[in-house]
Amino acid sequence: MASPARGFSIRRRLLLLLSAPLALLLTAGVLIDYFSTVSPLSAAYDQVVASSIVAVAAHLDIGADGRVKSELSDQAIAVLRADNHDEIYYLVLDADDRFVAGDAGLPVAPEGRDNPSFVDAEYRDAPVRVATYRMKTASGVVLISVGETTNKRRESARNMLSYIVASDVAQLLGTLLLVWVGVRVGLRPLLALRDQIARRSARDLAALDESPVPSEVRPLTEALNRLFATVAEAANAQHRFLANAAHQLRTPLAGLQAQLELLSSDLQQHGAADPALRERVARLHTGMQRLGHTANQLLALARAEPSANPAGDFRELDLADLAKDGVAAHFDRALAAHIDLGIEAESARVSASDWLLRELLANLIDNALAYTPAGGNVTARCGIVAGGSTSRSAFLEVEDDGPGIPEEERVRVFERFYRIAGGEHEGNGLGLAIVEEIARAHGATIELTTGSGGRGTRVRVVFAARGS
Amino acid sequence: MRILVIEDDALVADAMVRGLTQSGFAVDRVSSAEMAEAAMQRETFDLLLVDLGLPGMDGFEFVRRVRRAGSGLPVLIVTARDGLADRVNALDIGGDDYLVKPFAVPELAARCRALIRRSKAAGNPQVVVGHLHLDLPRREARVGGEPLELTPREWAVLECLALHAGQVVHKERLQQAVSSWTDDITANAVEVYVSRLRGKLGEAVSIRTVRGLGYRLDES
Repeated sequence: MASPARGFSIRRRLLLLLSAPLALLLTAGVLIDYFSTVSPLSAAYDQVVASSIVAVAAHLDIGADGRVKSELSDQAIAVLRADNHDEIYYLVLDADDRFVAGDAGLPVAPEGRDNPSFVDAEYRDAPVRVATYRMKTASGVVLISVGETTNKRRESARNMLSYIVASDVAQLLGTLLLVWVGVRVGLRPLLALRDQIARRSARDLAALDESPVPSEVRPLTEALNRLFATVAEAANAQHRFLANAAHQLRTPLAGLQAQLELLSSDLQQHGAADPALRERVARLHTGMQRLGHTANQLLALARAEPSANPAGDFRELDLADLAKDGVAAHFDRALAAHIDLGIEAESARVSASDWLLRELLANLIDNALAYTPAGGNVTARCGIVAGGSTSRSAFLEVEDDGPGIPEEERVRVFERFYRIAGGEHEGNGLGLAIVEEIARAHGATIELTTGSGGRGTRVRVVFAARGS
Repeated sequence: MRILVIEDDALVADAMVRGLTQSGFAVDRVSSAEMAEAAMQRETFDLLLVDLGLPGMDGFEFVRRVRRAGSGLPVLIVTARDGLADRVNALDIGGDDYLVKPFAVPELAARCRALIRRSKAAGNPQVVVGHLHLDLPRREARVGGEPLELTPREWAVLECLALHAGQVVHKERLQQAVSSWTDDITANAVEVYVSRLRGKLGEAVSIRTVRGLGYRLDES
């Protein structure tokens, strides 16, 4: 499957665009929840403190002279101070701010809008919340304060906070999961389309299945299908044209060539008077053979082009079978040229066009036979080369021990109609161009090197590695 | 040996007729499949030489009809088309061999000879390659009338090569042909039998080595 990691991904984009704001929103939610829970909580605790003031005030005795006296019994004080978590303090000051009863030095809340008023302060090295009630008496304002350490408040605020955070985080995770699942499910038709395209062979010109395609991308697949249809039609037209051209070219060539062949053997048999005439017919015959060869090569080159090769031609085949046939087919030529043509074939399976590879091999062997002097060796090989730890590539090569190709010519020999200078050979310079075109059609690479003995030429075609 | 050439192009047909006649065949030529069917009702032939691109009924259809009629006549298909599809089709519909235009006249004659020899061998247990004569049921080989002394394994190798004279026979195939006689025969052993055969056959025929692939028996 093609890697979706390249470029940007709609799925990642959607996930990012949805989750980042969602996370922010939920963080804000935690803060709002916290403050909206903590302040009523604090008010409730203040209420309890305030109600203690009532208890203290109820036991104050204010004399006619304005003297204030606390009549709280020890038991009442014990009840007042009874608390499992916090220390409770109280303080009563008379109108002249003199100590009447309670815990001396307990801070007093400054006068505020409400009565009692509250303040957060520090007493006996601990934070306290103090409520002060200003009671108006005939002799002036008596201050009644009750203070409480803040253990309970802090504890419950902490509990509240962890509860809020836990529930909000759970909510956030739940939402993100839903977003993730939603995006995944929502994008499924798009991913299915992606896979459908990724699985296709580069030569497959069949229309894409549009049934699972969402309407947003349907124009895209419709455009692709129109393009596929156009390209397929063009390929078919070229295929037909080449088949007709081949027929119309080869038939008269075959006739002319065979007639000249017969004419030259007739002249020989009947001992034609003029040897110059025989010579001319022989030249005509050679020229006609070259013309036929070039016509074949041009047709092969045209048919090797990708546009003339629909996927239908490709199938699984073994290079060894192909190499054996190729060598057997060229055995007569090798025999006539006194060249030892051989093969070293190991089974190597590739997906390829049978006839194109035969054409490729025929050109490699043709070239090797043409450029190797009598007494030389030409060997066709195929097999598997290890291309790394997991991939194994099939290869097909032809090696000769002829004069070889100079280093500086090695790139140029693949150009169409290029011929090595100084050669007396009648090649048309199309052989290696055909080899290259066919290799390209198969996604294969060509390596042109010196033969294994340090002499001659080795042309190796390496097919793309298949998965391990 | 009589050949029917079915080819519409006059230039090609004329060359075929001349070339095959020179090679010692009796040749008749027609220019369409319909005419070929008529000719086949009147006469008997040993081989059909069929061009695929005929006007009217094309070569494919013609060969298919010949085969459907139950004829085992050898058919050599000649065509100007290339490509695997045509090749596979030509052999699938019942063609015995396939030659692409343009062709060399000697090759055409050689292919015709090989096909006729093969079809004769099917009915007639005598195989003749040049001066070599094989009597298959008797397992007797003669060169120019003189009987050859052959071991059963040498005979098996020679029989296999002679039945496919002019074609490269893979080593593996010879190995199999010999192995049916005993347990296991290595490729090296096949080499030994071939070299002994060469010694016994002398100049009568030649067994050529295709390095790494196999051997081919040819008339000398």
